Amino acid sequence: MPKIIIDGREIECRPGIPVLQAALEAGFDIPHYCYHPGLKIVASCRLCLMEMKMPHPKTQEPVWAPKLVPSCQTPVKDGLEVRFNSDAVRQNQKHVMEYYLLNHPLDCPVCDKAGECYLQDYTEQFGPAASRMVEEKTKNPKKDIGPHTLLYQDRCVLCSRCVRFTEEISGTGELTVVNRGNRGEIDVFPGRPLDNPLQGNVVDLCPVGALLDKDFLFKQRVWLLRSTKSVSPADSRGATIWIDHNDGRIHRIRPRFNEKVNEWWISDEARFGWKYVHAENRLRAPSGRGRGPADPARPLAGRVPLAWEAVPARVRVILGEAAARGGGAGVAAVLSPMMSCEEAWLLASLVRGMAPAATLVPGFVPVVGQDQTFPKGFVIKAEKCPNLRGIETILAHVGGPQATWNEFLGRAAEGAFDAAYVVGGYPDASWVTPAVAAALARIDGCILHDLFPSAAAATAELLLPAASWAEREGTFMNCDGLVQAFERAIPPLEGVKADGQVLHELGGRPGLFRAEAVRAEAAAAVPALGAVFVPRDLPPHAH
Amino acid sequence: MAFERVLMRNVGVSGSTSLEVYRRSGGYEGAARALRMKPDELVELVKSANLRGRGGAGFPAGVKWSFLPKDRQVTYLCVNADESEPPTFCNRVLIDHDPHMLLEGILIAGYATRTTVAYIYMRGEFTEQFHTLQRALDEAYAAGYFGKNILGSGYDLECYVHRGAGAYVCGEETGLIESLEGKRGWPRIKPPFPAVEGAFHQPTVVNNVETLACLPHILTRGLEWWHSVGTPNSKGPKMFCISGPVNRPGCYEAPLGISCRELIYSPDFGGGMRNGEKVKAVFPGGLSMGVLRGDVFPQRPAGSPIDVTQDYDELDCLLDFDDPRNYDLLGLGTAAAVVVPESADIRDVLVNVARFYAMESCGQCTQCREGTAWMYKIAQRIRAGAGRPVDLDLIVEVTKNMGMMPGLSICGLPDGAAWPLRTLVQKFRREFERHIAAQDPDAPRRRIVRTNPAAYTLPVLQGRAEVMPGGTFYEPENHPELELRA
Ligand SMILES: Cc1cc2nc3c(=O)[nH]c(=O)nc-3n(C[C@H](O)[C@H](O)[C@H](O)COP(=O)(O)O)c2cc1C
Ligand code: SF4
Ligand code: SF4
Ligand code: FES
Repeated sequence: MPKIIIDGREIECRPGIPVLQAALEAGFDIPHYCYHPGLKIVASCRLCLMEMKMPHPKTQEPVWAPKLVPSCQTPVKDGLEVRFNSDAVRQNQKHVMEYYLLNHPLDCPVCDKAGECYLQDYTEQFGPAASRMVEEKTKNPKKDIGPHTLLYQDRCVLCSRCVRFTEEISGTGELTVVNRGNRGEIDVFPGRPLDNPLQGNVVDLCPVGALLDKDFLFKQRVWLLRSTKSVSPADSRGATIWIDHNDGRIHRIRPRFNEKVNEWWISDEARFGWKYVHAENRLRAPSGRGRGPADPARPLAGRVPLAWEAVPARVRVILGEAAARGGGAGVAAVLSPMMSCEEAWLLASLVRGMAPAATLVPGFVPVVGQDQTFPKGFVIKAEKCPNLRGIETILAHVGGPQATWNEFLGRAAEGAFDAAYVVGGYPDASWVTPAVAAALARIDGCILHDLFPSAAAATAELLLPAASWAEREGTFMNCDGLVQAFERAIPPLEGVKADGQVLHELGGRPGLFRAEAVRAEAAAAVPALGAVFVPRDLPPHAH
Repeated sequence: MAFERVLMRNVGVSGSTSLEVYRRSGGYEGAARALRMKPDELVELVKSANLRGRGGAGFPAGVKWSFLPKDRQVTYLCVNADESEPPTFCNRVLIDHDPHMLLEGILIAGYATRTTVAYIYMRGEFTEQFHTLQRALDEAYAAGYFGKNILGSGYDLECYVHRGAGAYVCGEETGLIESLEGKRGWPRIKPPFPAVEGAFHQPTVVNNVETLACLPHILTRGLEWWHSVGTPNSKGPKMFCISGPVNRPGCYEAPLGISCRELIYSPDFGGGMRNGEKVKAVFPGGLSMGVLRGDVFPQRPAGSPIDVTQDYDELDCLLDFDDPRNYDLLGLGTAAAVVVPESADIRDVLVNVARFYAMESCGQCTQCREGTAWMYKIAQRIRAGAGRPVDLDLIVEVTKNMGMMPGLSICGLPDGAAWPLRTLVQKFRREFERHIAAQDPDAPRRRIVRTNPAAYTLPVLQGRAEVMPGGTFYEPENHPELELRA
């Protein structure tokens, strides 16, 4: 590992990275705009300049070179000595920061980026207190550049990150720079708006408030938001994300750096796919089947509300009665790929504990289109659920009678099951097709644990409201077998309990569900699982 | 020995663009000789000729060629015919009158560098020149000077003329390469230098039209002749342009090292000033190299050293690669002098110069993009009669904080902006100050209030606009006198 000296401090760094990256990883606060570790280096903002020691042309002795050099463009090399704490460097930072604000509208009070804006931060840290320009500001326009994005050109620092993103990462090249000099603008080509499955990333990439997400526009001041580490349930790749929320509401989702999966990016599905969490029609209370006939058009009409306290006993009665007949061959549990590993383990052991011959079924797997691979390797999976591999792994270790989802539906339709614990948890009720509804309706003791009302909810013996992933904690195993933990961002909707907590209580355990404790329990029961379900920590150098 | 024109020998000769006329004066002799040598010998020859680039930077061509990696498979030659430096038209005259001289130079340079394809990147506005050159190229192809197995030597060279779309920055060598590749003409960061990775990721040589046009003469007339022309470090003939209110504006060939005064006043060149006016200022190397004081200023006392801080006549500056530096100029540049007469207002000159760079900065680097535009705004205000003495300091400060020399930008454009603007303000400071002293004292405030009310109405900024000198940033703690009531 090369060692370099920055401001007199020796640091060890990963080989091949730019000095700027090494400095940032070592905790130096170096202002920079155009550099982004995921994009090609252009060294154009000229803010990251440093002084470097070079051999004197005559004596070959290392001396401070008179020119400043961009630290983002200089790769680390063993023995390299650089400094940022010099007058020349600070003077340059001051000038550049003054330049950036010459024509900036200073409209921070109405700018969404305020509070996480590098123009604000760097001006505060490195810039002069006020501008010396007394002439009229150059005014650049605001533009609507795509279905999700607005461009406030007057705030842009022309770092070209967004342009490089569409060229290199999404490969769609919608954005470009038009005009020269200080009249330069980011723009789209006529009739070709910014519209690709990764486009939301340009908003995160933009170091200032020039690119704005229409979805988040004027919604929240960012300093009021809290950020929780999570994993996206949008597809089976398991992109790591931040959930930004306050007062129990999600306001936006941003990528969380992950070397192994999504790097700095997420798909728009992951970014905007959280709206269902706050949907009005979510199930909000447990209920039992009513007396009258079920009406698929109004699934909740006539159902009998239940208190959570009554639920464990009801479940034991339903499953217990069925288990008593034929050793439990008439009992099934459907483990949805939307469940966490911990929840799946709890449900599998609960059902098997009551009915050893119960059939375990991996639930419906939503698939949309084909896997989409982007130029630098970003993948959007066709499989739109986060934990199929986790469910399969658990089922493989648990063993016993199992069936596929389709086999289960077929047998259920023939009346093979007396009772089943069926977990849904999908972002909408479309998984309950008429065939699914018909099959589940044949199960007399159907316990449905789901987010939304559906035809199956109308006929379920017991209906339990589920919580979305943002309201739960646990781990998902992605399509490549990587296990990643997600934390609870917001409390469950009023009247709803987190799925893990429900299963924890059904198992007769006291106190609160803790994902970590369940993992320990699973490891104790099946040692092989202990080795598998270890959430990987992410490396720290996210930017 | 009387100086003999070689680069412009066919100017005025009828039919000079045709291969036939070109051959009559010894055309393609040099190439034939070159093809009988080994490429490396040719590089050595050009190195010992010390042929310095005519495109502006004056870098020795032979040395540049020797930077090409030894194990390269493909080499490209880009001929820089983008000639966009303001008063410059040497390349245009050459192509207009003697396109085959350029083509022969390309063949020689191509052979020396083992180039496979040569691209002539031509300024977009050169419409006639494009057709002239294309016709000449077709003729040369037909005569076997391009294509496969040239003159039986086994050497193959293809050549294309590519037209630019009109941006100054596309004359910068890496901007040119990007533009040639069909991208936006944004200069590239170096390293890698074009010699290692240039056009289409291959080793590439970029040379100016006139640099290449010198090659046939070095081969036919020999090193001895070449070394006999010019000054010790600046060898060979050079085309000089002169424009402005002189009697004979135009392009002239002369040995490197004639003085600026000669260029303006000699009957062979500029022929003196129109209406007997005096010279206020002259930009001797295109705009970008900076400005010299003219003969409205007194002569320097005989025997005293050059001192650019004093208001003396500087027309004795020799136009070679070295002497301009003694006058605080960046270099020889394109050797295209533009003369500013006594009657011109220096504020107009400042606006014109500032405008050019503000329009032409490509906009990648912050200092260049914002600095050039800011200076243009300041210059406009000064011209409008609302200048302040601090503006002059501010311009000097901004110019000192841009450019490649201090390492602050990707390409040399801002150096080229800084030099003329800074030297204008420094060398003509007393004239600027006279104008400012003569204007209505309230004019700056009135104008600033109109264009940027915040500068006067926000308490924290009030009054600062007038008193902040250049070279100091406004920091409240350093300026208690400016802290207005809370
Ligand atoms: C902003 C800028 C514009 C330039 N424009 C031209 C030009 O129009 N023609 C030219 O030959 N060189 C131009 N140059 C110089 C080229 O970068 C390069 O040095 C030259 O083409 C090399 O050729 P030479 O070595 O034969 O002089 C320009 C340089 C800069 C920084
Ligand atoms: S819009 Fe944002 S990301 Fe794009 S160039 Fe401007 S500042 Fe950079
Ligand atoms: S220095 Fe100016 S012209 Fe050159 S690349 Fe940077 S912004 Fe463009
Ligand atoms: S971050 Fe290095 S120049 Fe922009």
